[in-house]
Amino acid sequence: MQTDAHIRKAGGRLSREDQRRLGDILQRVYDDVVRQGVPDRFRELLNELDDSHEAEGSGVQRSVEEDSDARSGNGNGKSSGNEERDRHRGANALEHPQNKGSS
Amino acid sequence: MRPSVREAMLAAVPSLRAFAISLCGNVDRADDLVQETLLRAMANIDSFQPGTNMSAWLFTILRNLFRSEYRKRRREVEDSDGSYAESLKSHPEQHSRVEFEEFRVALAKLPSDQREALILVGASGFSYEEAASICDCAVGTIKSRVNRARTRLSELLSIDGTDDFGPDQSTRAILSAGGRGG
Repeated sequence: MQTDAHIRKAGGRLSREDQRRLGDILQRVYDDVVRQGVPDRFRELLNELDDSHEAEGSGVQRSVEEDSDARSGNGNGKSSGNEERDRHRGANALEHPQNKGSS
Repeated sequence: MRPSVREAMLAAVPSLRAFAISLCGNVDRADDLVQETLLRAMANIDSFQPGTNMSAWLFTILRNLFRSEYRKRRREVEDSDGSYAESLKSHPEQHSRVEFEEFRVALAKLPSDQREALILVGASGFSYEEAASICDCAVGTIKSRVNRARTRLSELLSIDGTDDFGPDQSTRAILSAGGRGG
């Protein structure tokens, strides 16, 4: 029953062997994209969002931060705990506004 | 954003892209979709439950975005313009590019609900239960879609001479060649 001819004739379930072959191609096609890794575009996007919300550059990102602050019981918005982080990442963002692309 | 959240998002990007490309059939649109997904995720990060599967959460967002926005433009979105093949050119595995392209064309002919089910279960590595959750349907529905997708795909790849598909000898060779990829 498990012959290649059944691929065309059955119109129903494929043999396990046929499923395996299809799955094999599918996985390779998919993995070929996965192996391309993370394009710079997305790394930059997440960095930018990080920076801009700390530099108060974007309303969306600020609300994200406020939300997470509220959740952790830290209602002060920009709290002292973030200052060190701001110094590293936020400083650049202040000098070079990164609001572009967040429309 | 917490560093761990950002790292988890970054880690999910490669497979999000692969999923998006499978849905859109177009790399540029897929990347836009991934970008929208990340923005949406960041804006709603509060609704993410720590400890749950970040990847599944992002896939759900991406899938919903695709359904709600991109599907309206389906004719446009599913137009094959060769950019997928172009993206593969940058990859060293030249020998399999033709085979990939043929497979992608066949994949694009599946109804989108079947296609997404097949990708989620067959390539992204989600369980039937996770895929059902991502697609907001019953587990049995996912199983049925995956089965129909496989059957239809093998039909498409086995029959030569369809109008816009043409002879696909290399793919047929793959389908009938046992024991490869091991």
